[in-house]
Amino acid sequence: MLKNYFKIAIAVLKRRKFFTFISLFGISFTLAIIIVVTAFIDHAVRPGYPDVNRDRELYADRMHLKSSKNQSNINGGPSFYFVNHYVANLKTPVKVSIQSNGSATNSYVNNKKLVNRLRYTNDQFWQVLQFNFIEGKPYNKQQVDNAEKVAVISEDMRNAYFGEDAKALGKYIETDNVQYRIIGVVTSLPATSNVFADIYVPYTLSKEDLHNTGLIGGYRAIMLFNSRDDFKRARDEYNQMVAKLPRDPQFDLVYTYADTYPETFTRGLPFAEGEDAGVTTFLIIATIIILLFLLLPTLNLVNINISRIIDRSSEIGVRKAFGASSRTLVYQFIVENLILTFLGGIVGIVLSFIILQIINNAGLVDHMHLAINLHVLFITLLACIFFGLLSGVYPAWRMSRMHVVTALKAQ
Amino acid sequence: MIKHLFKLTWNKKKQTFLLMTEIFVSFIVMFAVFTMVVFYYQNYSRERGFNYENVWNLGYDNPPGMQNIDSIVAFRQYLKQMIKAMPQVQDVSFSDANIPFGDANIETYINYNKAGMNAEIYTVDEDYKNTLNVQIVEGRWFTKQDDVFRERPVVINETLKKKVFGDENAVGKLITDAGFGGTMKVIGVIHDLKDKGDYVRPPAGYYKKMDTSYSRGAQIIIKVKPNADAAFESKLYKTLSNAIPNTSIDIKHMDKERIIKNTQLLVPVIVLFTIAGFLIINVALGLFGVLWYSINRRKSEIGLRRAIGASRGSISKQLMGEALALSTMSLLAGTFFAVQFPLLNVFNLASNTYLIANGLAVLFIYLLVLICSLYPSRQAAAIYPAEALHED
Repeated sequence: MLKNYFKIAIAVLKRRKFFTFISLFGISFTLAIIIVVTAFIDHAVRPGYPDVNRDRELYADRMHLKSSKNQSNINGGPSFYFVNHYVANLKTPVKVSIQSNGSATNSYVNNKKLVNRLRYTNDQFWQVLQFNFIEGKPYNKQQVDNAEKVAVISEDMRNAYFGEDAKALGKYIETDNVQYRIIGVVTSLPATSNVFADIYVPYTLSKEDLHNTGLIGGYRAIMLFNSRDDFKRARDEYNQMVAKLPRDPQFDLVYTYADTYPETFTRGLPFAEGEDAGVTTFLIIATIIILLFLLLPTLNLVNINISRIIDRSSEIGVRKAFGASSRTLVYQFIVENLILTFLGGIVGIVLSFIILQIINNAGLVDHMHLAINLHVLFITLLACIFFGLLSGVYPAWRMSRMHVVTALKAQ
Repeated sequence: MIKHLFKLTWNKKKQTFLLMTEIFVSFIVMFAVFTMVVFYYQNYSRERGFNYENVWNLGYDNPPGMQNIDSIVAFRQYLKQMIKAMPQVQDVSFSDANIPFGDANIETYINYNKAGMNAEIYTVDEDYKNTLNVQIVEGRWFTKQDDVFRERPVVINETLKKKVFGDENAVGKLITDAGFGGTMKVIGVIHDLKDKGDYVRPPAGYYKKMDTSYSRGAQIIIKVKPNADAAFESKLYKTLSNAIPNTSIDIKHMDKERIIKNTQLLVPVIVLFTIAGFLIINVALGLFGVLWYSINRRKSEIGLRRAIGASRGSISKQLMGEALALSTMSLLAGTFFAVQFPLLNVFNLASNTYLIANGLAVLFIYLLVLICSLYPSRQAAAIYPAEALHED
C-alpha cells in the first residue's frame, strides 16, 4: 500500500515541476534554518573540548544578594573567598575547579600590542577540564601554593608572541607587567567557551586581595561528580552550606545555586525563580517562537497543497466513486505530503551542511566548529514530521469532503 | 471599477482566506523588519556629538588599603598629572564606568514638576568636554570652581532638556534626583552624545562633576596626538602598571570599541533579516504559484470576456486589480494591528518610526503582489477566446 502511495506521490511531483520546486524550496530552506540554529545551540550546550565531563558537572557562577528591608540588591559572580572557602570544601564533589572570570590585559612585543585574556585558576582546574597539551604540563598544587610565576598559554598566544610554531616551553612571557615562565601550551578554544583564556596562571598570583570575605567577586567554581546521581545530594549540601553562610547586615538574603551547564544560561533570564533555573519555561518559549517562525512557510505550503488538490479533483472523484472512504484519501494525502517533506528534509540537510561549512570557514569565532550531529538530525526529523502533518492535514480534509459529482465534473 | 473589484474579492473570501492570512503574516514580518530598519537608520543619521578618534581609555581600581577619601583624590590627581606630562598626550579626563562604547551604563530616576523619568547618569571631570570634543548648546561646561556649591551643578543633554523643559530655557532651572545628586541646578545643555553605538538612540542623561567626594576606581580617558604609536602605548602601559599596582591594565582604543559595539548590535539584526528574506522569497514563490493556478482555472470566464470584446490590457488589469484588492484587505487588517504600536507606545519608539515603517511595508507587499501577479495575468490575457470557450 505504502509503496503505491510512494509511486503516486512521485508521479504527482513530476507532473507539476514548478509547484514541486516551490514546495521543496520552502521546506528545505525552513529546515536548513532550523538545523543551523540548532547546530549553534548544540555547540553552546553540549560537552566538548575541553569541558568533556560537562554531563556530570555543576557550576557555581552566580551570586545574588538582596536586602529584606528595601529594594537594594547586587548581582555578580561569587568571590574567590566563597568558592575557595565554601564550595571547594563540599563533600560530594570529586574535584572542584576554581577559576577567575578573566580580565583583559596587554603585552607589547616588538612594538606590537597584544590584547590577551588572563585567567587565575587552581590546580584542579586542569583535572576537571581535559585540555590537550601540545607542550609541557599544567601547574600542580605545590606550584600554586608557592605562588610560582608559571603560566600555561594557548597555542594562538604562543604563535602571536613567539612566532608561528616556535617552541615556548621554559621561555618567559610578559603580560600585565609581570614575567611568567611558560610550563605548558594547550590547544586553543573558541572565545565563546566559558573557560577560554590566552594565559592561565595560579590564583595565588592574583593582584586582588584574596582574603576579602565579601561574597561577590569575579570567580566561579566547577564541581565534578562521579555521576549525575550525585546531583541531588550535592544540591542539598550546597543549599545547606548557603543557609549557614555568615550574612552581611545590609544584604541579608543570599541566592546562589549549583546549576547544570544549560541552567547557567537560563539562570540570568527573568523567568528563573528560586531553585528552578527556568529551563522548562525557556524551552516552552523557544518552541512557541519556532512555531511562529514555521507559520509562514506552513501557510504557504497549505495554499499550494490546496491548489494541487483541485488539480487532482478528477482522480479523487474516480477513487471516491469506486468506494474509497474519506479516511483512506486523507491518509493517502498525508503520506504523500510527508514524502514531499522528507525529500525537502534531505535537500535541507544538504543546504545546511553547505551553510555550516561557509560559517566555519568564515571564521566568525576562532576555533568554533559547527557540525550537524545526530542530535541535530533527530530534531530535524521531528521538524519534518511536524511540518508535513501541519501542512497536510487541512488540505487533505478539504479534499476528502469534495462531492463525488463535482469532483468528477470538474474538467 | 474599484468597487467591483472589491466585491469580486469579497465574494471569494472563503477560497482566498488562507491566501489573505499569508499576506497578513508577511505584512507583519515586513512591518517588524522595516520598523527596525527605519529606527536604526534614524539613529545612524544623527550627529555623533563627540569625537572618538585618537581616544584611548582604561579602567583602574584604587590601590588596596587606600580608604581615606583625601588620598584617593590625591591619587587621582597624581595619575592625571603623570599622564598629562607625557608629550604625546593632548588631554586627560576621568569618568565613572559609564564611558562611550563601554559595557556599563548607570541609570537613575529624576523628578521635575511632580513628574519623573529615567535618565543616564555620567560622572565626569572638567576636562571631559575637551577630551571628547563635546558640543555645548546652551550655558557652560564645568569649571574647577564647581566643587563648591549650594545646589549641585549639572549639565544635561538635549534629549533630557527636550523631555523636561521642552523649548524653554533650561539653564538655571532645578531638577531632582533622590538617588544620586539631590536637588541639582542645570548649568548647561550639550548636544547628545551617541555613546552607546552608532545605531542606538542616545538616552536622556545628565553629567555631574567628579568632585572630591568620588571615592571609587575610575576610567581614564586619554586623547592622544596623532603621532602616538605602539611604542608610546607600551611606555604608557609600563608607567601606569607601576603606578597602579593592583589592577590588570587594558588600554582600549575607542575607535575599535565602537566597531565592537556596532557589530554586537548588527550581527543578530543581519541574521534576522536574512531569515526574513528567505521567508519573503518563500511567500513570493507561493503567491506566484497560487495566483497562476487560480487564474488558469478561470480560462472559460476569461475567454467569454474576450469574446464579448474585452481587450487584453483590460483582462490583465482586472486580474492584477483583483490580486491587489485581495492584498488590500490583508493590509487593512495588518495596518489596524500596526497602528496599535504607536497608540499604545510599545517599545517606546517615536510614532513616525512606526508610520514610515508601516508605509514601507504596505508598499513592499503591494509591489510583491504586483510582481507575482504580472506574469500570470499576462498569460491569462493571451488566451484565445475560441480556445478557452472550447475547453469545457
